[in-house]
Amino acid sequence: MSFKPVLRFLHHAEDSLLVSALVSMLVMALVQIFLRNFFDAGLLWAESFLRILVLWVAMLGAMVATRESNHIAIDLVSRFLPPRLLKISTLVTYLFSAAICGTVAYFAIEFIQYEYEDETIAFASVPTWICQSIIPIGFAVMAVRFVVHGVLGALR
Amino acid sequence: MNFVISGLLTLVAMLGAPLFVVILGAAMLGFYVADIPLTVITIELYRLVDTPMLLALPLFTFAGYLLAESQLSTRLVRLTQVFLGWLPGGLSVVAFVTCAFFTAFTGASGVTIVAVGALLFPALVQAGYREKFSLGLVTTSGSLGLLLAPSLPLILYGVIVQQMDIPNPFSIQELFIAGILPALLMIFLLTAYSIWSNRGAPIERGQFSWAEAKSALYAAKWEIPLPVVILGGIYSGFFAVSEAAAVTAFYVLIVEVVIHREVPYRQLPRVIRESMVMVGGILLILGVSLAFTNFLIDAEVPQALFAWVQLYVDNKIMFLILLNIALLVLGAILDIFSALVIMIPLIVPVALGFGVDPVHLGIIFLANMQIGYFTPPIGMNLFIASYRFKRPITELYSATIPFMFVLLFALAIITYVPEVSLFFLDR
Repeated sequence: MSFKPVLRFLHHAEDSLLVSALVSMLVMALVQIFLRNFFDAGLLWAESFLRILVLWVAMLGAMVATRESNHIAIDLVSRFLPPRLLKISTLVTYLFSAAICGTVAYFAIEFIQYEYEDETIAFASVPTWICQSIIPIGFAVMAVRFVVHGVLGALR
Repeated sequence: MNFVISGLLTLVAMLGAPLFVVILGAAMLGFYVADIPLTVITIELYRLVDTPMLLALPLFTFAGYLLAESQLSTRLVRLTQVFLGWLPGGLSVVAFVTCAFFTAFTGASGVTIVAVGALLFPALVQAGYREKFSLGLVTTSGSLGLLLAPSLPLILYGVIVQQMDIPNPFSIQELFIAGILPALLMIFLLTAYSIWSNRGAPIERGQFSWAEAKSALYAAKWEIPLPVVILGGIYSGFFAVSEAAAVTAFYVLIVEVVIHREVPYRQLPRVIRESMVMVGGILLILGVSLAFTNFLIDAEVPQALFAWVQLYVDNKIMFLILLNIALLVLGAILDIFSALVIMIPLIVPVALGFGVDPVHLGIIFLANMQIGYFTPPIGMNLFIASYRFKRPITELYSATIPFMFVLLFALAIITYVPEVSLFFLDR
């Protein structure tokens, strides 16, 4: 049983979701402008939908950035470190990042449980907890990726 | 215990942990100490949804990435060449104007140097400008235009400050208008320096010809309406900023993909993905910094900072001088987004306390950051230019220094003459 095709499928799904988030954002925003200017109308739920897409772009974009180790960082010291120390420091920063993301994911799940029980609605008939679910999912995925990158980097 | 964790946070930040992780860590520590349950982090992150303005960021960035993929840089250089190339210092004006326009749309991510600088550098040398001068010019121009709409850092400054409930709020439109004169001032001073610096050199000047003008206009006929309609729409208030972003993205998509066909359809997902990875990273940093800002305000950190600064500084001018020094240092070591999210929540309340207008402050802030892009030793654009033009980094240090002094002079005017920023505004 090979792990690679599964991973490739997941990465592809993640990328596609990110790309379709922008496409839907663009289409919805244009539809709104069109309706407002020509029919003096608008879809009631579109505004909320658009704003939730911003959150999804943020999380999905950050997930892919983690996959590619492409995050904005302050990073003043690492370029001056000798290779051995650099390996250790990379392991430490990645595990630290994983711990932070993992903690956020844990508390986000707790928060979303409340929203689920309250049955709040974000827009149309879409419940709020589905819109927010990208927060724990995103942070959990990032935590896993930080662990994997950190360990692989240290072994290399 | 708290000191240990704060120390650890600083350490991992220096070692290169992602900025969003560091800010999250700081916010979580703060909430933990204040006995606030950490579920609050999710609530704070979800506040990204309460800020309609943010919709503009992904859409403008996508438009900028598309423009950078197209041949717009070639058309733009040709167009400015015809109309400005015959002036004294012609080609350098062409470079400044083109780069400013490009950076405003692409957000000074280094794309300007790669896409426009690479085109202009050989042209400048060919026209008789010294090589070192040309190198300095294109590197400096890489961050010119940061003050012009719809630059991403300008919008971010507005979004972050709007979240802070300041007593004299402003709109993004006002911020956009405030940036115009300072940006023109910079271009003017840089041009004056270019003419003076090359006074003895045998510079070829371009010729103006109606035939070339017509053909250059024709080649760029689809892109010319872009700044006029979109920016005119924003500056006049006809479009909301997020609407202008949607229209821009759609228009650029049609022009570059369908009409010019310079970005093939199958490349579109890649361009979208790349632009969204960049925006996603920035939005997440923004989201966590909103949480952190809230903690800072709850803990009354800005007030404490203001009281502390007041012990040593008692007037606005003194404060502005210190602000400039601090921001120049920060701009040189941090990238612009880190500097924005870390410093704005701290600086804005203090600056308001000294009677600085928040719009003026934004312009000062970004003008400092613009210079930070090519401040030795680690200004980001120095490395990008060094890589792109295959020159040692030390050569870039000496090439950009004269330009840096010119821009420092512009910065002094912008800082101490608030009217340059606020002239068109009723503030």
